Amino acid sequence: MFDLNVKGSSFDNNLILAKQASIYGWKHINFSYTQNEYDDALSFKKDLEDNLEDVIDIDYTLLIESNNPSEIRKIVRKYRKKSSCISVLGGDLKVNRTSLENIQIDVLSKPYLKRYDSGLNHVLAKEAKDNNVAVELVFSDVLKSYLTHRSKILANFRDIYKLHKKYDFPLILSSGAESVFDLRTVKDFQAVFTQSGLSELEVKNSFKTSENILKFNKDRKNMILSGVRVVD
Amino acid sequence: MKLKVLPKSQRKHNHYLVLDIKSEEELTKNDFTSIVWDACVRFQGENNTSNFNLWTIELIDKDNISFFNEYNAILRCQRDFEDEVRSSLALVNNYNRNKISITCIGISGTIKGCSKFI
Repeated sequence: MFDLNVKGSSFDNNLILAKQASIYGWKHINFSYTQNEYDDALSFKKDLEDNLEDVIDIDYTLLIESNNPSEIRKIVRKYRKKSSCISVLGGDLKVNRTSLENIQIDVLSKPYLKRYDSGLNHVLAKEAKDNNVAVELVFSDVLKSYLTHRSKILANFRDIYKLHKKYDFPLILSSGAESVFDLRTVKDFQAVFTQSGLSELEVKNSFKTSENILKFNKDRKNMILSGVRVVD
Repeated sequence: MKLKVLPKSQRKHNHYLVLDIKSEEELTKNDFTSIVWDACVRFQGENNTSNFNLWTIELIDKDNISFFNEYNAILRCQRDFEDEVRSSLALVNNYNRNKISITCIGISGTIKGCSKFI
């Protein structure tokens, strides 16, 4: 029950969100901040962790919002050691491609954003698989849209599921919640994605993928090459 | 003349969902029922919704401790269609331009069994 993208804001808001998420059955949530807010948010991370010690595990995700591929690379290099998860907001084809080709990026979030298609094809799907970059689908996009727009987003989700089933790239599902009104119980969250075409096993695997990303990044400093790790 | 009640084996099998509702506006039982039907018809369509056998059993007002109104509700739905109802309700986010969230916190085969979730 891992959620890597809950929108982070002030200390108090994060506290309310984390407590509610814990009541609804989530085990771990990551608050996401953009590159401009990330440094400020780090200042109260320790307090937040202390307050929520017995309630829920929390961490931060860096959400890179930029349309410039070279700027994205620069930001990733700057923050790689500071953050447990780096995610890039997709939508632009160039951004989608550079994110999926970069092994240092963990997640490509919303590749379908402001597009008429899913933003992924078989070439990008293979790249995602080779570089182990996860594609993130956000529940709040479905929640906050309605009628035609909602059905188009669900259609984009289905296109991504199809590629995921064929090319087996890592897929993660997250809530993208900004307030308590956007949070749902884990079972409800799973039900929405199973209704839109994923199997229950695939939904559970997506939670495992999120967990694996965090585990992998904890060990990242001990990695010499991919697959080779220093053991004391 | 009243219809004779069907034998137990031929009745529909129901399950009861216990819902947690947060709303900016105060809700009545009628409001809640129309929200549920609207959500199901929108997400699942008229044909699928006809299978759900929806019925609002109870809407319980909880003590308001924060900036929103909080309720619990017991909703009847037909067995094997719980996921469809759940997903439809999870996608409700506003009513009369006020924010609302509905999420299922428990599920039971009897109304009596719902009490442990409330």
